[in-house]
Amino acid sequence: MPALLKFLIRRLLAVPATLLIITATLYGILMLAPLEMRAELYMPRGGSNNPNHNPELIRQQIIREHRLNDPYPVQYVRWMGRLLRGDWGWSPGFREDVLTALLARTPATIELTLYAILLLIPVGIISGGLAGAKEHGAVDHTFRAVAFVATAIPPFVLALVLLGIFYAGLQWFPPGRLSISEHYIVTGADFTPYTGLLTLDGLLNDRPDISLSALRHLVLPCITLSMVHWATLGRMTRAMMIEELHKDYVIVARGKGLKERLVIWRHALHNAMIPALNSIALSAASLIMGVFVVEVVFGFPGVSEVIVNSMRGAPDIVAAMGFAVYSVLLVLPVMVILDILQAVFDPRLRDTLAEQ
Amino acid sequence: MRITRRLFTNWQSLLALCIIAGYVIVAISAPWIAPQADPQHPVTMRRLPGVRPTALRVPRPPQPGAILGTTPGGWDIAYALVWGTRPALHFGLITALLTACIGVLVGAFSGYLEGAVGRVLMRVTDAFLTFPAIAGIYLFRYALLSLNTDAPPPFWQVVLQKLQLNPIMLVLIAFSWMPYARLIHANFTTLKHAEYALAAKTTGAPPLLIIFRHLLPNAITPAIVLAARDIGGMVLLEATFTFIGMGAGLPWGALLVTSRDWIIGPGGNPLIYWWVFVPATLVLIVFSIGWNLLGDGLNSALNPRSRERM
Repeated sequence: MPALLKFLIRRLLAVPATLLIITATLYGILMLAPLEMRAELYMPRGGSNNPNHNPELIRQQIIREHRLNDPYPVQYVRWMGRLLRGDWGWSPGFREDVLTALLARTPATIELTLYAILLLIPVGIISGGLAGAKEHGAVDHTFRAVAFVATAIPPFVLALVLLGIFYAGLQWFPPGRLSISEHYIVTGADFTPYTGLLTLDGLLNDRPDISLSALRHLVLPCITLSMVHWATLGRMTRAMMIEELHKDYVIVARGKGLKERLVIWRHALHNAMIPALNSIALSAASLIMGVFVVEVVFGFPGVSEVIVNSMRGAPDIVAAMGFAVYSVLLVLPVMVILDILQAVFDPRLRDTLAEQ
Repeated sequence: MRITRRLFTNWQSLLALCIIAGYVIVAISAPWIAPQADPQHPVTMRRLPGVRPTALRVPRPPQPGAILGTTPGGWDIAYALVWGTRPALHFGLITALLTACIGVLVGAFSGYLEGAVGRVLMRVTDAFLTFPAIAGIYLFRYALLSLNTDAPPPFWQVVLQKLQLNPIMLVLIAFSWMPYARLIHANFTTLKHAEYALAAKTTGAPPLLIIFRHLLPNAITPAIVLAARDIGGMVLLEATFTFIGMGAGLPWGALLVTSRDWIIGPGGNPLIYWWVFVPATLVLIVFSIGWNLLGDGLNSALNPRSRERM
């Protein structure tokens, strides 16, 4: 069997194991909560808001019905079964099934992270590569200074300053996902939401103006979101670049008269990119996590709304658990794709991982 | 001592040490820089004295009594910045060091032990990498809530109180150790086949001795570097969590969050009310850059062959 295929199968087999570990941990943390608090997770549709019912009685009934006094593994397996059947619980905060609420907000988050990643990977690799190609040059020093500040500034301050300058001041990039009139067009009968990604749907519906407007609304959130990760990726690329440029094969490439540009961008960068991709895989979770700040500041109605709302209003454990499981489902594919990309770029890694 | 010399001859590391020393000096001398009104009940944030509360809704510019002005609500910015240094250092150091310890231990054991145990540990590490810390914080907060206040708190809450560990700290530690584990794991898998490790093994040294005496000192450099950077990073992360009301109550983040509505100044000019966020942001940025530079300096000092990484 080719090594790449073997690696692919191994990597995909690891996915259920990861899900198992995470959900077990989540439910384990929840087990720390008092019994009555845990009962909230199983609130029936409509919740305890019915005035004819005593919430205390409902809770006692849930504890009896769902046998919440059972040992942890039994309860966990039962809860997992509910998740797999698609019954993620009814959120009192959103007054709907939490899975429905999450799915409705997914396209916005996917669009946002997708554009942010598309922006940050090339910019990070090119800027890091440029800085590393001439160590201690002017580009290098500028790069390091900007990267330091980018990792050190609190994201919400950066987002608010950008919003102040480019929206309130210059009126270039408004917050939200679309303007109100465009929102009515998109939700209207003449507009088919093929993918939910507005930039794409606009084109598919022959409304390029919608796509353009959606892009305009995406500029600031994308810049804020990619800033921190750009710095991490760029610094990693720079470091690897410096290391690669001192290796023998680069000396050989230069010695045989290869153009410097080719040496740097074809030979050294190719090898420098592998650990750089790894650094992005490590931060895939925090990329999704960083989304919540961006979504709050720019009023971007994505998945984080589910947990941020439940933090502001009454405690809503259904929304929180739903969000936790769902965000793992969002992060996992990104990590798997990045791992596969690494294996494609690095035959050595592929072989060792396939043999393990 | 070669390491110390290398650290002190590099201007970047010197700058880093100066910055950190500056923060430590401010932290120690806080009672003299910004005297407490009531030394019996020290507070890390204070309101401007002698002004009516309604007059405090708009942030006040720098003035005598509050040299960096106030945030909306009348909180004295300079005072909170000075008194915020102690909790920031405390929070950053404890969280980063505990995180590093857990990560290093997991990485060392998973790297040294072959077979199922090692593989399971690495799987757990990878799984935790996908975990959203924000949900973890929420769940812990939720578990701390109690409908029935008369009931005795569960034993784990008592343990937390005894250790004076903030739940936010605990969550940050629980969900940040994975990069350390991966770094140490990678180093261990190559180092354990080195001749000196094999030699130790053939002389009958127990595994724990090999791990801690022979392998760890050779593998730990990247973890030290990462920990230095994380000290700044943890404080920054706390500020971000404060933004959605889930912070540990450090004054620096609290200042920025109280002023959030004024960062977008009138007419989109953030500079009109600059004092509500520029000083606090600068204090945070310089703090973080100091620890980052120290990490870089430690890296080239501890590890001269790999030239300066990152």
